[in-house]
Amino acid sequence: MKDLFSAEKWKYVFYCVSHPSDGFYEVRHRERGSVAIAWVMILLFGISYTINRLCASFIVNDTDPRSVDTLMEIEGVLLLFLLLSIANWSVTCLLNGEGRLKDIMTIMGYSMTPCVLCFIPATIVSQFVAQNEEVFYNIIIWLSVAYSIIIMLIGIMIIHNYTLGKTLITILLTFFALLVILFVIMMVYSLVGQVITFFQSVYLELYFR
Amino acid sequence: MNSKSNLISKFIVVVLVLSVMVQTALADTLPYVTYNFDYWEDVVYTPAAYVPDGSITGDSLGLDAPLGAIYDIFVSPEDKTIYLCDYTNNCIVVVDGKDYSLITVIDEFYNSETGSTDTLLNPQGVYFSDSGYLYVCDTGNHRLLYFEKQDKDFVYAGHLESSMIKSDILPENYAFEPLKVCVDSAERIYIINLNEFQGILQLERDGTFNGYFGTINVNISLWDKFWKTISTQAQRSKGSMYVPTEYTGIDIDDDGFLYASYLDTTGMQAVMRLNSKGGDVIRKGANENVGGDIVGTGAAINLYCGTNKIQDVVYCGEGMYSILDNLRGRIFTYDSEGNLLYIYGGMGAQDGTFSSPRSIEANGSQRLVCDINRNEVYIFSPTEYGRLINEAVACRYDGDESQAVEKWSEVLVLNENFEQAYIGIGKAYLNSGDYKTAMDYLSLGMSRSYYSIAYKRFRNELLKDNFNWIFGTILVLLVGILGFRFYKKVKNRKYDDD
Repeated sequence: MKDLFSAEKWKYVFYCVSHPSDGFYEVRHRERGSVAIAWVMILLFGISYTINRLCASFIVNDTDPRSVDTLMEIEGVLLLFLLLSIANWSVTCLLNGEGRLKDIMTIMGYSMTPCVLCFIPATIVSQFVAQNEEVFYNIIIWLSVAYSIIIMLIGIMIIHNYTLGKTLITILLTFFALLVILFVIMMVYSLVGQVITFFQSVYLELYFR
Repeated sequence: MNSKSNLISKFIVVVLVLSVMVQTALADTLPYVTYNFDYWEDVVYTPAAYVPDGSITGDSLGLDAPLGAIYDIFVSPEDKTIYLCDYTNNCIVVVDGKDYSLITVIDEFYNSETGSTDTLLNPQGVYFSDSGYLYVCDTGNHRLLYFEKQDKDFVYAGHLESSMIKSDILPENYAFEPLKVCVDSAERIYIINLNEFQGILQLERDGTFNGYFGTINVNISLWDKFWKTISTQAQRSKGSMYVPTEYTGIDIDDDGFLYASYLDTTGMQAVMRLNSKGGDVIRKGANENVGGDIVGTGAAINLYCGTNKIQDVVYCGEGMYSILDNLRGRIFTYDSEGNLLYIYGGMGAQDGTFSSPRSIEANGSQRLVCDINRNEVYIFSPTEYGRLINEAVACRYDGDESQAVEKWSEVLVLNENFEQAYIGIGKAYLNSGDYKTAMDYLSLGMSRSYYSIAYKRFRNELLKDNFNWIFGTILVLLVGILGFRFYKKVKNRKYDDD
């Protein structure tokens, strides 16, 4: 928690963004990263994402503002981050990945920084664009997303000490693992639900008898 | 941000109005639901634009027998005479459009070619041309009849049948069974023939076949194309054929453009506006849909969404046209730019609802709809809401912007959710040069293109007005920075010299 108030740790986020290879290497081997800051970054990403969907000018925004539920979207982003980290960890564990769950979370959170920094300025820019000028808005959004994805890819590669090919394969497997996790969660949810209803009905039978 | 808060307030109004509408709809005597689609493709309930206002029956005309199944209606624009095409009684009923009284019934006529009395058999289409000729699709007798109007009488003036058609394309013994007919100012005859997939037949009075007019594209899905490439000839010959759908109704506007409706499978376009070469020049609105109900995936999917069976089209004047749906019994009215203005009508057994609507016509501001399962013709009259929209669209069409703003503002009092009204007002302000107000209205109307035009002009104006300030500031800053650097340089050199 005290990482959150450490200026050095916060500065290191920006070092990671500008020097992804070196930065993420030291996250893995010299404990320069912070999981708490990563979570804050993800939270900020959730907020800026939903602000972008809600407030971007209708010239560039195809989202019905009435359909945006801010809390649900932030929750969704956080949950997806957690699931992705666990899925990636469970896959790389089996494939000789050197990264720990803590490293995976850290690099994922850190690599969201470009999106966090760009989404709200893009939303402001969108208020000043007309049709045919959407490219100014789109370029900000797409560059930030692309940069985030690239440094996330580099990060996964570095912390697990993988080649690029192996990284791409593990990312593919990560998505499969994600589906498996979701499936298991759903199944457990429904099974537990059935067990609860069973005991409920037993109780009701006894109660009414 | 102003537009956002406007949007939110608009949304609150939507909810309030909706909750009120639901209650009033229950108490209302209107037999159908009137609605429209907003920018988000949601169904928005609106006041009724047209309400049922009586009907033409055998009784009301003073006939001995009730009317049969009316297959087609035509209203002559000059003298407001209504021609009803009675399929079962084999006659044409001519009615005065001003007071809906009977003028005459054409059931028997003297055929000057055979020299005997002739009758109609199951006529399905009727048209009265500007030059004073009545055209009747005598479908049961496989011919088209011409009558010349002489005072109140209609005198046989010739006919057209399969053997008289001069054409290299059409086969001998062409199955000539005209369903709908339309005639332009040059007396060229446009005929929708039964089971004709190629297009509308364009004929001269003497039987010269000018060619097919307007073609409907076939939509083959990628999946079907894939199967077609891998299947053998034998398989393909047993499979279903990919043929275009048929035209269902035609009408002609004041400029000579032909409106033709057809059965559409995609739900995106069910009516064409054909120019003299037969090309489609219809304009589509923001949602690119002139096919009636939108093809949505909302909760109201079967009630208000999905492809319609468009049965007829009528040009209502001032660029507006209405299409008649056979599936849900709706009448959709569009303006010249392809924006959906209002929807009314429905299926049912009450007055003003249909069981199988066949044809629609405009009698002034009133609309006449016939149903082949009911022995009457329904009359729909505009409400204040419908009248105001019609007038506003007409003002816009004629270029009278200030008048249009007034009308649209009155429409907004009755229906605050009508995006077309906001766009209409916004466009007027845009033309008059008040770009800021135009932007407010156009963003409420969710019109990206017009909002952008207004915004660009507003921005240019702002830049132009403040050019001196902006340019001056930049100049001062530049001079300042350069001067400061120069000063530093000089200072440093001094120290270097020392």
